[in-house]
Amino acid sequence: MSWFRRLVNSGRSARISRDIDREMEFHIAERADELRAAGLSEPQAMLEARRRFGNRGIQKERTRDADIVVWLDSLAADVRYALRALRRSPAFAAVAVASLALGIGANTAIFTLIDALVLRTLPVPHPDELVQVTLGGTDGSGYFTNPLWEQLRDRQTGLAPVAAFGETDFDISEGGAARRVRGAWVSGEYFALFGVQPALGRVLAPADDVRGCPPVAVLSHDFWRASYGGASDVVGRTIPLDGHRFEIVGVAAPGFRGPEVGWEAQVHVPICSKTLLSGEGALDQRSAWWLRVMGRRAPGLGTPQVAARLAAIAPASYAATLPDEWPEEHRRQYLQGEFGAVPAASGMSALRERYGGALTTLMGAVGLVLLIACANVANLLLARGAAREREVAIRLAVGAARPRLVRQLLTESAILALLGAAAGLLVARWGTSGLVALIATEDVPVALDLAIDRTVLGFTAAVAALTATLFGLVPAWRATRVSPQTAMRAGGRGIAEGHRRFTIGRGLVVAQVALSLVLLVGAGLLVGSLRNLRTLDAGFRPDGVLLVRLDMSRVASADAYRGMHRELLERVRAVPGIRSASASDLTPIGRSSRNDVVLVEGFEPSTMEESLAWFNEVSDGYFATMDMRLLAGRDFDASDAPGAPRAAVISESVARRFFRDATPLGRQFRTQVGDGRSDPYTVVGVVEEAKYRNLRETESGTIFLAASQDTTPGPSATLEIRADGDLAALGRDIQSVVAGVHPAITIETRTLARQVASSLRRERMLAVLSALFGGVALLLSMLGLYGVMAYAVARRRNEIGVRIALGADRGRVLRLVLGDAGRVVAAGVVIGVASAMALGTLVRSFLFGVEPTEPAVLALAVALLASVAIVAGLVPAVRAARMDPVAALREE
Amino acid sequence: MAKKKDILQGTLDLLVLRTLTGGPLHGYAITAHIARVSSDLLRVEEGSLYPALHRMEQEGWLRSSWGITDKNREARFYELTARGRQQLETERESWARLTDGVGRVLRYA
Repeated sequence: MSWFRRLVNSGRSARISRDIDREMEFHIAERADELRAAGLSEPQAMLEARRRFGNRGIQKERTRDADIVVWLDSLAADVRYALRALRRSPAFAAVAVASLALGIGANTAIFTLIDALVLRTLPVPHPDELVQVTLGGTDGSGYFTNPLWEQLRDRQTGLAPVAAFGETDFDISEGGAARRVRGAWVSGEYFALFGVQPALGRVLAPADDVRGCPPVAVLSHDFWRASYGGASDVVGRTIPLDGHRFEIVGVAAPGFRGPEVGWEAQVHVPICSKTLLSGEGALDQRSAWWLRVMGRRAPGLGTPQVAARLAAIAPASYAATLPDEWPEEHRRQYLQGEFGAVPAASGMSALRERYGGALTTLMGAVGLVLLIACANVANLLLARGAAREREVAIRLAVGAARPRLVRQLLTESAILALLGAAAGLLVARWGTSGLVALIATEDVPVALDLAIDRTVLGFTAAVAALTATLFGLVPAWRATRVSPQTAMRAGGRGIAEGHRRFTIGRGLVVAQVALSLVLLVGAGLLVGSLRNLRTLDAGFRPDGVLLVRLDMSRVASADAYRGMHRELLERVRAVPGIRSASASDLTPIGRSSRNDVVLVEGFEPSTMEESLAWFNEVSDGYFATMDMRLLAGRDFDASDAPGAPRAAVISESVARRFFRDATPLGRQFRTQVGDGRSDPYTVVGVVEEAKYRNLRETESGTIFLAASQDTTPGPSATLEIRADGDLAALGRDIQSVVAGVHPAITIETRTLARQVASSLRRERMLAVLSALFGGVALLLSMLGLYGVMAYAVARRRNEIGVRIALGADRGRVLRLVLGDAGRVVAAGVVIGVASAMALGTLVRSFLFGVEPTEPAVLALAVALLASVAIVAGLVPAVRAARMDPVAALREE
Repeated sequence: MAKKKDILQGTLDLLVLRTLTGGPLHGYAITAHIARVSSDLLRVEEGSLYPALHRMEQEGWLRSSWGITDKNREARFYELTARGRQQLETERESWARLTDGVGRVLRYA
């Protein structure tokens, strides 16, 4: 039978049903005639005819099943029936749909992010052919120096095209407040590699990336729309990048956001133009690691073959680029360098590395939330099934087929899941943008494609189907397992009824309690870690410090920078309300860092690591402004002039590690700077250890050099200003002070507190979300507990009525119900604590200052859960105790 | 209900198709005809007949129409289609093979 016919028929189901009735009616009439003719009386004949025909309901059902529509039609009927049933109990429907919407929505939200960040391949042709070249094995660094990249580019690698790119940012202002755009240095085949076409003008080609190239730029589509309003005459105009004019030659087509997922360059310039911004030698630096390399596998080559070819060219490439001035040991290590090949269909992503693990953890958490929601709905359905026992019994008695009834009840579950999923998608949309807001910062927006696409919809549909089966099947099966006789006879008289249905309901609540305890413990650990990090003594005091980043590159020659730094600092110190101010090259917990090898007479490092220390160049007053304690010696001062012996202040751990002396005042060290080694530095002071790159680091080992003695001061520096009162207002004052020195100096302000807080974004996201999910889980399981207890009390109404009538005192009744709830909660807590202790290690890497099995956190979670559980159990218990025995018994 | 097999499974189609070669009949007439011709040896259960009729109509072997009986009652008449005749031949052959096979086994086994 054609589908078409079936479909047509499905629209005519009512008529078909009537037809079957008429046909059967006719048959019975004919049979009755025959029986009458055989001598039966009229009523007897009719009765016998019907008896012979058998159960008409079943006949009709079976005839219809053979018929057409069967499936489609009965489905439509089931849907109508289910909708009617749900409309009859709106409270049930609302609670069920809301639970599911929360569960499904949270899952979809997290999955959307995981999909965009981890799973999706780059939107380029044949992404599976893309390979990233690394420096050695799969865990090797991805960053190349330019000389090394040139070696790779000019040899046979089995990759074609192959391209390098480096992220940076450019200031496109012409003075005043800086306007940063995200920029990328790209090699000639970059656009060809990813198959990116120009939307306007042209994209960069190999001819653009040759040494001595003219400065040209290609804009991203979004940037062109946002900053140029999509003007078509943009090609041929120039754009100032860090004060140098670049000619815009084209705009890239939309869609591709670059190989770094979550980060999109707005301006692309050829690698060769770096000489313009960073000096003539920029392309020949053998110790500057700033380029990443990707290529496309040539047809017929697998990643292992590519890796083999790369391995073959590695020795010659490294030999040709050996940094001349490095110490012997490091040169030896350099020559043993390798190349590796890693499949890169999904591109690469710092964001992924940072948040991938956290998102997986959260996915697990929302999975648990969904299970709790399912248990809730299953419980509601069980209770409902009990209330509908009679209805089901009657329908079974009049001949409804049991599978059909199960299907009908399952349809109800499916509709709930569907509504839950629809509402969940709304929750997810809202949730995803909230999530991104949690991890984005003002200067690093998260550029992810978070549209709800087919993958996400598929995921949501699968989750909804799974949940419908999870929460629907058991209650449906159970609801139809009644024997019609028992159900009809019992008719609500529940004194001695079996407790089996109860057992399932209770089991579900035990599971809910256990799962929510796991989530609460997880939340406790993550919130505790965040708190520990926030209250940690970083060695400096971030509150009340304004950071002002200055860029003088458009202003003067390098010689004038130092004088200008000095002048700016003095003018700023004169602004009223400022307690202290200083200048520095880097700021703590910032985005940049600098480490160098420290060479000390008599110090033999066992590893390369051990010889490294972090560096910063600071002015006098830095330690006072940052509130860092000077343990010995002195701060920098006017005596540290350019010609004087070079001074350094070191942190405690540097003193211990390199000098084995807590106060090595007067001792000397050298550093390896770039490809050479420095003049000696003399230790003039020791400061307390302070965090340098992040709050989690255990040893920050920092060396501070005197900015006043820097022989090659750069065009940029940061001022630290400690002041009372409104830092934002202060920022505006500082801007006018700076403009007073020179209008073409660009400045950016932010508070140190904010900079430190933004380093805790991942921790904050985990803490906020795990607390949220823990709260939702607690709410849902307490709803479950309340529901089961209320239901139990309702069912035992008679029993309780009799007890009270016979003189049981009300406190006893209260204890009876509460004890019941207590047993359920206690069982859940025991299982939950055990599971939490087992699962705690999964979040270990996110923790700080707490153990995965921290007793205080476990105790707190149990206490919270127990106190909420008491409230949830108390309501039905009090209701039971206040029961009027007369009314309860009269209902019989 | 389905446990009582008055007519060998699968032969109902054959009987109905054969019965209808004589012209259109309604369901009751089909049972009556089969009972009469088989001298009451075969009884078609109503419970099997109507689902079978509807199924065969689905398959395209029968077509049905509403008409008036000589007792002036409305009834649904079933009629053989061309495909129904083909099907009758197929079923007839397979029945012959079946009885032949069963017969041989009974004789020689």
